[in-house]
Amino acid sequence: MLHRFRQAAPAFFLKPCNITLRLSLRMLSRISWQRWDFTAAAHLLNRAGFGGPPTEIARLVALGPAQAVSYFVDYERVPDSPPNPAWAEPDPERAERLRAARDASPEERRKMQQEMQKNQREHIIELRAWWLRRMASGPRPLQEKMTLFWHGHFATSAEKVRDAYLMWRQNDLFRRLATGNWLEMLVAVAKDPAMLIWLDQAQSRKEHPNENFAREVMELFTLGEGHYTERDVTEAARALTGWSYDRQDEDFVERPMWHDRGAKTIFGETGYFNGQDFLEMLVARPQAARFITAKVWNYFAGTPPSAELTDALAATFRNGGNNFKPLLRTMFLSEEFYSPSIIRDQVKSPVQWLVGSVRVLERPLPPPLVCVGLTRNLGQDLFAPPNVKGWDGGLSWITTNTLLSRYNEAATLLQGDVSPITGGMFANRPNANKQFLRRVSQVRVGGVDVDKLFTEEERTDASALIPALERRLLQAKFKPEQEKVLRDYLDGQRGMNEGAILNAIRLVMSTPEYQLT
Amino acid sequence: MKDEITIQTRREFLRHTVLAGALSWTVPTFVANTFSALQADAADQTTQTTTGRDGTILVVLQMAGGNDGLNTVVPFTNDYYHRARPRIGLAESKVLRVNSDVGLHPALTGFKDLYDAGRLAIVQGVGYPNPNRSHFRSTEIWQTASDSARFERYGWLGRYFDNACSGCDPTVGVCIGRQMPEAFTAKQPTGVSLDNPQNYRFMAGGQSRPGQPTSMEDSFRKLNQPEAETPENSGGTIAALSGPVRHSGSALDFLERTALDAQVSSDKIRSIASRVDNLAAYPGSQLGNSLKLVAKLIGGGLPTRVFYVSQGGYDTHTNQTNTQERLLKDLGDSVSAFVEDMKGQRNLPRVLVMTFSEFGRRVAENANGGTDHGAAAPMFVIGDKVKAGLLGQYPSLAPADLFQGDLKFNVDFRSVYAAVLESWLKTRSEPILGRRFTPLQIV
Repeated sequence: MLHRFRQAAPAFFLKPCNITLRLSLRMLSRISWQRWDFTAAAHLLNRAGFGGPPTEIARLVALGPAQAVSYFVDYERVPDSPPNPAWAEPDPERAERLRAARDASPEERRKMQQEMQKNQREHIIELRAWWLRRMASGPRPLQEKMTLFWHGHFATSAEKVRDAYLMWRQNDLFRRLATGNWLEMLVAVAKDPAMLIWLDQAQSRKEHPNENFAREVMELFTLGEGHYTERDVTEAARALTGWSYDRQDEDFVERPMWHDRGAKTIFGETGYFNGQDFLEMLVARPQAARFITAKVWNYFAGTPPSAELTDALAATFRNGGNNFKPLLRTMFLSEEFYSPSIIRDQVKSPVQWLVGSVRVLERPLPPPLVCVGLTRNLGQDLFAPPNVKGWDGGLSWITTNTLLSRYNEAATLLQGDVSPITGGMFANRPNANKQFLRRVSQVRVGGVDVDKLFTEEERTDASALIPALERRLLQAKFKPEQEKVLRDYLDGQRGMNEGAILNAIRLVMSTPEYQLT
Repeated sequence: MKDEITIQTRREFLRHTVLAGALSWTVPTFVANTFSALQADAADQTTQTTTGRDGTILVVLQMAGGNDGLNTVVPFTNDYYHRARPRIGLAESKVLRVNSDVGLHPALTGFKDLYDAGRLAIVQGVGYPNPNRSHFRSTEIWQTASDSARFERYGWLGRYFDNACSGCDPTVGVCIGRQMPEAFTAKQPTGVSLDNPQNYRFMAGGQSRPGQPTSMEDSFRKLNQPEAETPENSGGTIAALSGPVRHSGSALDFLERTALDAQVSSDKIRSIASRVDNLAAYPGSQLGNSLKLVAKLIGGGLPTRVFYVSQGGYDTHTNQTNTQERLLKDLGDSVSAFVEDMKGQRNLPRVLVMTFSEFGRRVAENANGGTDHGAAAPMFVIGDKVKAGLLGQYPSLAPADLFQGDLKFNVDFRSVYAAVLESWLKTRSEPILGRRFTPLQIV
């Protein structure tokens, strides 16, 4: 059990506030100033963002809960216009190249395709690094955190889409509508080129409707298993026919000739429905609000909401016009979000582990290829989720394999040691491995500057260093015996040199506790 | 391998620390449970001991994505088959004939050889009532051996571990990969996962001085051992700690347990992997490499009862022909290399391979040269002691016999599991599967 810095103030300290919703009498009431301390502010920074050093936590403590939450939620006020990847725009020569490939000899064509695929792979690596940089040092952490939520929710993989521009475009869509309206997001995603390719909607026509998107949009995106029938799937697939993708223009296209104009019966209603109608029917269902709000809560709180809390979340969402921003504000200000069973009980995702670690270690992200290796080894490859359900997350991030990888990859971030990734990555693809090894051995990962992290006193006195490690790395206290192990380790070194301090950080990062946030 | 083996098994770990009091540890919930299990061990005849030298081994091979069973075990004389699949159907001249009516996909030469050698059983028409066509739900049904409408908390192999292997070494279940399959989910989490033995350890780096009391390695091990003694639950009352305490079932509990399992298994696995050589040539694919590692671990005597490997990519909604051919070739070649390896090690009589996929695919092909999610499909069971040949009945393809365009099952997959549990792993199947399923006569 982790020992928190300060005990929570009892609930009866709560000041009565204006209550408009009946439900909120009991659920989602506002956290009080008395409870707003280092632990609570660190929790908000870890969950609404990707964590950060003690100075950032202190700043949030000083702001108070409403201002601190507003800093995350009202991110439009913060200017943010970093450049997009150079190739993140429609390719004017694409049509010509497709034509050239069509006219080429089989051998030439194969060469051209190989070349194109190689480019795409490189671009995907750049894209991953581009996004990780936004998470690690961008000015709008919640926007990136929600973008990551949507990527896991509408899990689309470059392995099938095979086009970095389209993957970037989808990512940009998630970012633009990150905390916006649910229906708007859903329609945009249904018309998103990467999604149209990913779930085969692009090829669905009235003669043979493809059920892939129709099924997953109900099962995984809006309602959940058991809230629709097989008949709903086949009928919805008919309604969606004609929504397709134009390869030349690299854009969504509506093909009237492919659309099934007949009557369909979906959720017991009969009509001449098209894709837009179907998505509107989906969002109008009460289950849709419960499903998506429960998933958002689980993503940020780390545990599924109770039935009662789900009702309250869904009501908040509907009262806010099915927009995510008011929901998130209410969530981050709620007593429930700061309950002791929620704080420091979420397993960090590999991306959270990497981005959070570089933030608390105040070091830059490693080079792109190394970032890809680090997260892949831990079981999360951005833009390549294992399937359309996304990453299972939670405890399933942790196996003996991935846990040891986390412990070892700490050395990559601290001391620039790339051996944890050169061995594991592509273990199953020997040829790719050789090439990867060659390339990784040429990059410099860099390490951590301990002078930046700790005061001189902390760097020379173990009794000062240990609490500093607690505040920076765990935002909680070590168990007494862990503290003893660390102290013994530091005492056993010849003086508190940089190497010893880095190793002490490595040891903290190699504990079960560090894997939680 | 010169590495010092610090902890051999969890059992030994507990003896040295909890029992002998080398260090005074107490016990988070999971260790308490393991400990109670150990105490009960001697009296409990159902608990299986694993020595790594005898005992049977099950290798579960998941074909993820929903393999098209109709083009895997092909009813090549069936008119309905050819009518439903004008583009992707396989002609009689192409298939590898098993009898006068069915044949294997042409890429499955590896399986054909195993069949001819009497080592391959094909179970036809396997499924379950009220089939679910979602990848995730159907996979879950197979992994938890549940009824279609019922949600089970633990996996079927997890329940096997809970029922028959409590107190065993964590390597009683080994998954090759980075994620644990849902089938392994257990009341007491059991099993380890790995893909590269060389990195399967805490790498202390250049600054460490192993052997010294304050080396990184030693500090690491101490930091990753269970919580130290606290006054409220001291030594004598351990066995009474049935289900306490404040962090029972917390994420931290789970992490501590995994950290311990990783340490316990790491030295052993690396030592085996560096000392055992493969005795067959495997394809360079992920599946090939996974089975290669399984073969080494078996050869090195890891006390494992269940290995889990998987191969993905079977979700062939579009242009199925090339994809499935590539995957099935990889499957057949990898498994036959593994059998060759086992034969060379003289371990083949101890090993059984069982394949499964979450569902078959629709009888009729779709407009994109592919097939959509379906229902019943064949399973393969491979080993020296299988009743080789065709088992079960091929489901009827007559349109009137289909359910929503899909094949109806004849064999419940749980009667295959029951056979594997009873005849192969030698344990009662009811406590694991929840009720009686008549075991299919496979071994």
